[in-house]
Amino acid sequence: MAIAEFSWNLSDKNRFTLPGVGANGAKLSDEVLINNARWFIIFRWGVIGVLLLFQVFALVASDELTKIGITHQQGWPLAVTLVLFIANVIYIQALDFQRQTKYNSPAINIWAQIIVDLLCLSVVVHFIGSIASPAPFFYVLHIALACIFFSTLESLVVAALVCVMYATVLLAEHPLLLMASGSTATDPGTSFLSPLKINIFLWMFTLDVLFIIVWYVVSRLAIVVRIHEHHLVEAYEEIRRAQVEKDRYAVLMTHQLKAPLDAIRSKINLIKGEYCGEVPPEIREVISKIDYRASGMAGLILDVLKLERLKAAARDNNAREQINIETVIRKCIDKLRPIANSRHIDVKVSVRDFTVEGIPNQLEILFENVISNAIAYSYDNTTVEIVAAVEGAGSYGIVTVTDHGIGIGEKDLPHIFDEYFYTPRAAVHNRTSSGIGLSIVKTVAENNKLQIRISSEQNVGTAFSVIFPTIISGSIPETEMHQPEVLSSHLVNPQSSPLDSGKGGNELASTH
Amino acid sequence: MHAPIQQQDADKLPGEVPGSALAQGSRVAKRIAHIDDDPDIRDTVRRILEANGYAVDSYQTMNDFMVSLWNSADPPDLAILDVMVETMDIGLEAYVEIRKRFPGLHLIFMTSLGEEIRPYFTGLSDEWILIVEKPVEPVSFLSIIRSRLGNNES
Repeated sequence: MAIAEFSWNLSDKNRFTLPGVGANGAKLSDEVLINNARWFIIFRWGVIGVLLLFQVFALVASDELTKIGITHQQGWPLAVTLVLFIANVIYIQALDFQRQTKYNSPAINIWAQIIVDLLCLSVVVHFIGSIASPAPFFYVLHIALACIFFSTLESLVVAALVCVMYATVLLAEHPLLLMASGSTATDPGTSFLSPLKINIFLWMFTLDVLFIIVWYVVSRLAIVVRIHEHHLVEAYEEIRRAQVEKDRYAVLMTHQLKAPLDAIRSKINLIKGEYCGEVPPEIREVISKIDYRASGMAGLILDVLKLERLKAAARDNNAREQINIETVIRKCIDKLRPIANSRHIDVKVSVRDFTVEGIPNQLEILFENVISNAIAYSYDNTTVEIVAAVEGAGSYGIVTVTDHGIGIGEKDLPHIFDEYFYTPRAAVHNRTSSGIGLSIVKTVAENNKLQIRISSEQNVGTAFSVIFPTIISGSIPETEMHQPEVLSSHLVNPQSSPLDSGKGGNELASTH
Repeated sequence: MHAPIQQQDADKLPGEVPGSALAQGSRVAKRIAHIDDDPDIRDTVRRILEANGYAVDSYQTMNDFMVSLWNSADPPDLAILDVMVETMDIGLEAYVEIRKRFPGLHLIFMTSLGEEIRPYFTGLSDEWILIVEKPVEPVSFLSIIRSRLGNNES
């Protein structure tokens, strides 16, 4: 006896769970920290530059500075510049040239940067003016950055550090302040409480309040942003998983649809191969027709999967590769030549090779469809000409596939890229048409940012041009493909093709 | 239990088969294992291969084949695997397992999806995996089998 339990409880699956990541404790990854440490370092070079400019200015207009109350004679700008410079070199050394250890992590690096910066800023504040100058407001910048890059608690520590440093600067400047305030406490209402002291206390109090408010507001915002960021990462991961799942489903569906057809066609092939005895011509003809229709259906089933995959590929940031156009065309022709031969269609090729950037395999899919269409809609005993050329003084590449066949009607031309579109004329000529081939072409063109131009005349033929707006390189000599049937006298120039100048519809289908 | 499925209905009529006796003669017929859950495909492959002088062991499930392979003192020369037998991944898992234990055994995949299944093979093996698309087409199918087994002899 077999017992199996099934349950489909989806509620857990859909919940966003961030194991080990609380909103408050959310920390940034080392990668992000390293990037920010680098950004700080670059920013600090800027500050060093400003300090150097200040020193130049101090040399030129020393008196003016003294007049507005900025002391610079003690050489503090040089000292601060030097400290920042050396510190910056050490940060770079620790970040890029030393192995990461417990004592050399990106977090410690940023901590060191913030503390040294605060010390330097305190020196600057002291000399430029701790009150009645905007210098102390630069502390706010450090608090804001700490809120963004550290946890809430750590940024609070930075905010407290700032308060202490500012207080220290004020006390260092007015050493009598404590004593004086002490005596004020014991003897209130006396003249010890001078306006200057009130002023200093007011500055200390106001700025400390400001620092704490800034810490509170920015750290709140940082928490919100981090929560959203985590949700975004989760959602992105969900989408990726869903795409994988969708592809699996599409593959499974395709397999289930095509497998019975393949069993039927395998049996047909047994008969055709005379593995079941000799086959009379009448039966052979019927069997061939059955197989032809079945192969069309099998093609359609695979095309649906291909199209689905191409559409999914458009959403991905695919790695682009350099693709040699001659290789692609050669591969497609090798694949399609038996079909062309069976209908006595001669495929003539003239290629001036060029290299483009594209998603691997997709260009092959595109040209396989374009060329197989050209063959399918040609009349028997005609030619299909494939010409690759570099035009516009080597700026763009163009591949034109020209057939001599049923062509496309003027009113049908605008619709040929519609999914599952096929004209009754086309259906009569090619019963296995799925109506998906050109949708695939369109999707590949979109993915690879290609343009397509079609000129066609009914019952004469179609010239299908794929335009590569940017090419990487084009070989100088015009080379024929190494195939015996290529005749140089059959070069087809899409510009001078009679189809182009004919009365047929001429359409520029830009697909992006 | 895990013996190959015996041919039941495919009556071999020597007079009817074209291109037979390829591997016959003084040499022992090459043995080919074929795994597919579709009885019609199994039957087709068996007919084609046997008509051309190969000995065929058909298996319905990958597990049947693997058990038989592990217990066999004389493994086949070539195995034709289906990617999607039973579950979707079983063919791929079996491939890795068999490759590890029988590095000399030729393996071919035969699937309805043809090259479209290849993304599922990425990262599976360094070597190029041959994928044949169904339906079984006798002429090209035989040429693939011959070239694979031919390489073995050289």
